[in-house]
Amino acid sequence: MGNGRIFWLRAFAARALGLFGLRKRDSDFDEEVQAHLQLLVDRFVAQGMLQEEAAAAARRQFGNTTLLQEDRRELRTLVSVEDLGRDLHYALRSLRRSLAFAAVAIATLGLAIGASTAIFSVIDNVLLEPFPYKDAGRLVFLRIQDTSRGEEGGRQGYTSNELLEFAEQNHVFDDVIGASEDLVLYKRGEGVEQLYGVHVTPGTFEFFGMPALYGRVMQPADYQPGAPPVFVMRHRTWMERFNGDPEVLNKSFVLNGTARTLIGIMPPRFGWFEADVLIPETPVRGVSTGFAGLPATWFLLGRLKASVSKEQAAADATVIANHLAKINPQDYPAHFQVLVKKLGDTVIGRFESTLYTILAAVGLLLLIGCGNVANLMLARATSREKEFALRAVLGAGRARLVRLLLVESLVLAVGGAALGVLIAWGGLKLIAAAMPQDLIPAESVIELNAPVMFFTLVVAVLTALIFGLAPALQATRRDLNDPVRDSCKGVIGGFRTGRMRDTVVVMEVAVSLTLLIGTGLLMRSFVALREVHLGLQADHVLQTQLPLPEDRYKTAAQVRGFFQPLLARVKALPGVVDATESTSLPPYGFQNSKIEISGKAHQDEWHTLVQQVSEGYFRVLRIPFKVGRAFSEAEINDARKLAVVNETFVSTYLRGEDPMGRRVKLAGLETLADPVRDPWFEIVGVVADVTNQGLQAPIESEVWVPYTVTGSGPQVLMVRSQQTPMALMNDVRRAVWATDAGVALAFPSALEDRISQRLYAGPRFAFLLMAIFGCLGLILVTVGVYSVLAYATARKTHEIGIRMALGAERSDVLRLVIRAGLRLVTAGIAIGLFVSLLLGRAIEAQLSRGVKHYDPATLGGTTLLLMGTAALACWIPARRAARVDPMVALRYE
Amino acid sequence: MTDAKKSEVLQGTLDLMILKTLQALGRQHGFGIARRIEQVSRDVLQLNEGTVYTSLLRLLQQKWIAAEWGTSDNNRRAKFYSITARGEKQLAVEKENWERISGVVGRVLQLEGEK
Repeated sequence: MGNGRIFWLRAFAARALGLFGLRKRDSDFDEEVQAHLQLLVDRFVAQGMLQEEAAAAARRQFGNTTLLQEDRRELRTLVSVEDLGRDLHYALRSLRRSLAFAAVAIATLGLAIGASTAIFSVIDNVLLEPFPYKDAGRLVFLRIQDTSRGEEGGRQGYTSNELLEFAEQNHVFDDVIGASEDLVLYKRGEGVEQLYGVHVTPGTFEFFGMPALYGRVMQPADYQPGAPPVFVMRHRTWMERFNGDPEVLNKSFVLNGTARTLIGIMPPRFGWFEADVLIPETPVRGVSTGFAGLPATWFLLGRLKASVSKEQAAADATVIANHLAKINPQDYPAHFQVLVKKLGDTVIGRFESTLYTILAAVGLLLLIGCGNVANLMLARATSREKEFALRAVLGAGRARLVRLLLVESLVLAVGGAALGVLIAWGGLKLIAAAMPQDLIPAESVIELNAPVMFFTLVVAVLTALIFGLAPALQATRRDLNDPVRDSCKGVIGGFRTGRMRDTVVVMEVAVSLTLLIGTGLLMRSFVALREVHLGLQADHVLQTQLPLPEDRYKTAAQVRGFFQPLLARVKALPGVVDATESTSLPPYGFQNSKIEISGKAHQDEWHTLVQQVSEGYFRVLRIPFKVGRAFSEAEINDARKLAVVNETFVSTYLRGEDPMGRRVKLAGLETLADPVRDPWFEIVGVVADVTNQGLQAPIESEVWVPYTVTGSGPQVLMVRSQQTPMALMNDVRRAVWATDAGVALAFPSALEDRISQRLYAGPRFAFLLMAIFGCLGLILVTVGVYSVLAYATARKTHEIGIRMALGAERSDVLRLVIRAGLRLVTAGIAIGLFVSLLLGRAIEAQLSRGVKHYDPATLGGTTLLLMGTAALACWIPARRAARVDPMVALRYE
Repeated sequence: MTDAKKSEVLQGTLDLMILKTLQALGRQHGFGIARRIEQVSRDVLQLNEGTVYTSLLRLLQQKWIAAEWGTSDNNRRAKFYSITARGEKQLAVEKENWERISGVVGRVLQLEGEK
């Protein structure tokens, strides 16, 4: 009956329209009816009736006008306002009569809706719409991935040559821009401060399509050689460093020795490259040096043409990359592919799957919540069968009864939604605070927004319809006489609804177990992560980067001229145990270099991580030596070409041989801005392995050499202290300024905090949220099991009374009820375990190495936890049943 | 429940009769329609004339008929109804339906008689 639907739709549309302009139509209709009645009267009078007789006859023939009016209203609008008001009144009255029910239902819905709204907000703000830029969905960057290495990763920085080649030769991008990082020092008052800057290529601001908040963005003329130097500032930097002072606009600042005019402040959501300041630069072909004397590398961002897919773009970029690899084979792996990645992938990456896992968890939570409320409603509807039968007998139509129940559920849903929004609002604040800042795009703003509110409302209304209609239909389907007659409350009572409730409980338990197992696995994984042995002691270490002004620090001698006295000064500070220079911070090594080892011939390329350090490095980080020794202070100062390697280096390249005295060529050091000539280094020591590629990736071979061999590379200072490391910061800063007033501490922090922030924050966040949701799920399920059993037991009071009168012991009753409950729980657990094993693969990617998705301890533990909680939920109604006095029960109607 | 079903059949029939009346006589007001049905049914059908208006509203909602205010023969303001093209089509369908069903019902009743 396809037609039927069209008719219904047409009527529905007319009724919906009828909600407006009701009054006018009513008066129209009155006029029509009066005219009709008058005509009838005229006719009867003409037939010879008296006026009064005729009027009565006319009314008789026409029928009851009031009823007619009501019929018409019902036809014309969806719900009449009066009826709705009456239903609302009934609903509130009956809910007030069962406050506990209403409170549990609203709280359950509120929790479920609130949690899902909060998480959906986060997902929307962080994953779906994080970037406020023009066509943000089409912004991609390129990564050269070595196909011989399995894992994700690869190069995404390009030389000026490469940038220009990609920009000019491609057929897939509307536009290509480059960004190159730079640590910017600027003079302020008596000292210097440090900013994170980025050099941007012409067209960058047009590319993003965002105007400045104050002032202006860069124009093409600003990139011209000889143009007055300018820069643009990020909103956050302006607020934090300059208190949002509008006076700074058009002022001149000395950035890295160049006076530049601040021409614009960007809007708050502009966060390209997380840069404090943006500086114009036109890339030119030929080698140029960038940050810290390393070859300038550009991060490349392109806007895909509207019709081009990521795959097509990758194919096109591969052609260009193959061409470039022929010219500069040393810059490309032997086998590589070009990956095209979305802008969001720069920061989100692994975190994306974390968020989706949490979304799934919240979905499950919502499911449990709805199940609970549906169950409550079912139970309530069953106990109200008689009430409904009575209403029906007294003339309430089925539609009317359904509507009444629907209004009741809508009241609950609206209450739940309101509470949910409150919970979401508060929860979002908590989540935003717990959110690992490094893992989300700087542009994203986490807040409740319109689509999210819409989502909540849809959830609320759908939930109301689902859990309101099912019991409503069930309650009204019954034969009218049946429940009225059925005065005995249930030796068998409500068999059909009983089964439906049981199904819901089984499902809830299954879902809850799945959720708990997910939480348990993430907890295990987090604990495993915390137990990863770094191989060094990160506590009591203060770290800070020390970007040196490039104009004065180019050569190895100049850099040594700064660090030698600085290290002496710092070591002399009270409370300082030791101090060292380094190129990078644990748990990461520095740059990768190709190597040769004397007396070893090999076909394939050999690589190792290289770090430049001072003699205190191994002492500060407490890295133990296996063989040999560290550098001496004299050797560092003489820039001797000595090397310390890690155990992996030995086991990879010198297995079974004596590493001491072997010579290693570190080819990567030849290509620095301040190159090391003839970079052959003699091995003097072997240290134990230290994580050098983050916590999860396997340890790479690594070589440490004296920092004095080159002036290139970033500089980091690490200080081991006796007390809290941050307490030393001011002393260290003073020591730095005493050595060179033009150097600033950049990102100083306790090493331990930094590691924890960078590496544990994501998993901790995931685990924290999952733990909250897991607990909520457990609570909801306990309430669910309890309410169903309590209800079923209450209905069976009569039966229990008979059993006890016939000689059943209290323990028998206890066992009877608990067994009934545990049967459901066991079924749910079986299903839950099965589903968890099935879904386990999905969460596998979230887990640390070594934790399996079928981890028996987790599965066992969570099952026991759920079983125990459920048993408690069964025990309370069971005990109540066992206390039943048979006499009272039998009299109880 | 059974009461409701009976009236439903009646309602549907009334809709059909009104459609047919409007097709046969053209533009009519409610009173005119009621008179025509009374005349045709020759007192077989007891009709609450008010229900004509409920039926008219239902037909209006389906856009099978249209309504406008006009002046009646005796210069009174009255609402006039006329059948639409869509209504003509629906009438043809309903008519065929009715004939088919009444044919079936007739045959069934005949069977009963032969027993």
